[in-house]
Amino acid sequence: MTDKIDIKNVAKLAALKLNEDEQQQLEKDLSMIIEHFAALSEMDLPDDKISIHPLGMSLNLAEDIASKSLTHEEALRNAPDSKDGQFVVPPSLD
Amino acid sequence: MENHKLSISKINKLFKDKELKPSELYDEVFERAASTESIIHGHLTLFQEENIQKALESNTRYEKGEHLGPLDGIPIAIKDNINISGHVTSCSSKMLANYVSPYDATVITKLKKEGVLFTGKTNLDEFAMGSSTENSAFGPTKNPWDPSRVPGGSSGGSAAVVSAGSAIASLGSDTGGSIRQPASFCGVVGFKPTYGTVSRYGLIAFASSLDQIGPITNNVEDAKLIFNSISGHDPKDATSLIATKTEQPNLNKAKIGIIKELMEDGISEDAKEEVYKVAKLMEAEGHEIVEVSLPLTKMSISIYYLIAPAECSANLSRFDGVRYGARVSGNTSSEMMELTRAEGFGPEVKKRILLGTYALSAGYYDAYYGQALKARAMMKKEFTDIYKQVDYVISPTTPSDPFKFGEKSDNQLEMYMSDLCTIPANLVGMPAISIPTGLSSQGLPLSVQIMSPANTDNTLLDFSQTLQSLVSFIDKPILNRTEK
Repeated sequence: MTDKIDIKNVAKLAALKLNEDEQQQLEKDLSMIIEHFAALSEMDLPDDKISIHPLGMSLNLAEDIASKSLTHEEALRNAPDSKDGQFVVPPSLD
Repeated sequence: MENHKLSISKINKLFKDKELKPSELYDEVFERAASTESIIHGHLTLFQEENIQKALESNTRYEKGEHLGPLDGIPIAIKDNINISGHVTSCSSKMLANYVSPYDATVITKLKKEGVLFTGKTNLDEFAMGSSTENSAFGPTKNPWDPSRVPGGSSGGSAAVVSAGSAIASLGSDTGGSIRQPASFCGVVGFKPTYGTVSRYGLIAFASSLDQIGPITNNVEDAKLIFNSISGHDPKDATSLIATKTEQPNLNKAKIGIIKELMEDGISEDAKEEVYKVAKLMEAEGHEIVEVSLPLTKMSISIYYLIAPAECSANLSRFDGVRYGARVSGNTSSEMMELTRAEGFGPEVKKRILLGTYALSAGYYDAYYGQALKARAMMKKEFTDIYKQVDYVISPTTPSDPFKFGEKSDNQLEMYMSDLCTIPANLVGMPAISIPTGLSSQGLPLSVQIMSPANTDNTLLDFSQTLQSLVSFIDKPILNRTEK
C-alpha cells in the first residue's frame, strides 16, 4: 500500500482550510509519522477480542427518561450567533 | 509558613485543632501564586477573589466542628479542560477562549460537596495534545525546577502549580501520560486511575477510550484521598465502571516485574538507575524483583498515535462554529466551518485531526486503525498474562529528565517518544502512578512508574506509599529553594 498522503483530500474530509505552507509542512510531518506505522501495519495479528472499551466492558447506557438538563437559554449562551431561540448559521448553498 | 507543602491530612488536623484556618492557608497559597506565577505561568485563571467568602465559610465549619470532610478548605487547581460552571474552559485553545461552562463536571460537583476551594484553571497543551505545554495557545508553562525547561504535558500547569506551592493539589487528565509525565518532570506524584473509575462527564474529550481524570499531589497519601473523593459510578458517563470485586495484588512480599522493553534503547541511564535503585530498596524489604517481557510495549507509540488521533478527529468535529466556541464568517456553512477550524485550532491539533481522519478514511482503515485495535487487544492480553506472574510492574515514568524548551519541538517523533513508558497504561486501561524518587545528574527530578491490574487502584496506592517512604524524596524545586 502507498504511504503517500493526499493532504488536500484529508483536509477536506476534516473540514480544515489549510494554506499552501501548512499543506506542505503537514504533508511532510504526516508522511514521517505514517512511515513509523509501517512495522505495526505489517504485523500479523489475530482479529478476535477487539473492543473499543479498554477493559472490554459494554457501555452502561442511561434509562431513556427525561431529566433536568440545560435550559434553552443556557444551551444558546455560548452560540456565536442565535435568533429567536435558535442557532443561526450561514446558508448551506451559495 | 510552609503549610502548602504539608500533606492534606496534616493540614486537616491543623484545621481541626484550630492551629490553622482555611482562609490563612488560602492566603498563603495565593501569596505563592503571586510570587511564582509570573515565572511559571501555571494558572491560566486565578479564582482568588470569588473564593474568599467560601474560605471564610470553611473557617466557620471547622470552628463549629461541622467540616465536610478531609478536603474541606483545601485549595486545589483544575486543568482547564474540566468544566466548572460559570468559568471559561479554554482547553488552552483559541477555539474555546471565550467558552463559559454552563455546568460542572462530575469531579467538580464531588469536590464542591467536600468544600474544596478551587485556586483556578491550569495551563495545558491545546486540547491536551502534547508533552510540554508548548502547544498552549496562551504560552507555555515553565518548570519550577528550572524555568528554561518544560514542565511536561499535557497537564503541565497542574503539575507545575503543585510543585511551586500555588495549589495543594490539582486535577489533570491523562490520555497517554498527561498526568504522570508532567508530575515526573515537576517532582510530584501523578496518578492515572483505572479507566472508568473516575467519571469523564464534563471533561472535554480528546480520545474517549483513553482519557482519564486523576490527581497530581505532593505525596501518595494525598493522591489516594483525592482519588477516593472523585471516583465512583456516574450514570452521566456510559463508560463509567460499576464497582465489582477484583482480586487484589499482594501488599507484603509482593512480586514486582521490571519491564524489559522499557529499560532498553531510548531510555537514559539516569532513568534506568532510578528503577534499579527502587528495585533494590524493595528487595531489601522482602519483595521479589524479576524481569518481565511485554514485547508489544515497543509498539505503544504507533498504536497510540493511530487510536488517539482517530478518536480526536471524531471528538473535535463538534467544534464547527455553530453551537459554541469561535466562529470565522463564511459565505456558506461549510466555508464558515473550514475557516473557523483553520483559525481556531493550533498546528499540533490540526496535525492530529488530519492523522486521525486519514487513519479512518476508506482504504486505510483496516491497515491502520483496525490494526491498532488488534494490537491493543494483544497488548492487553500480554499484561493480563504477566499479572498472573507478578503483582506489579515498574518502569521509568519518562525516558529522561525534563527537556529544554524547543529541544524536541522540531522533532515530532522524539517528542512523541517521551510518552513511551506511560502510554501502555492508557491502552490497557490499568492504573498507573508516577512517584518522584531522585534527581538526575543535572539535578532534575526523575520518577518511577508502578502499574497494577485494572480495579486495584487503592492497593496500588497503598503499595506506592510504602515505596514513597523508602525513597523519601525531599528535594525541592529552585523556586522553593530560593524563597526567603
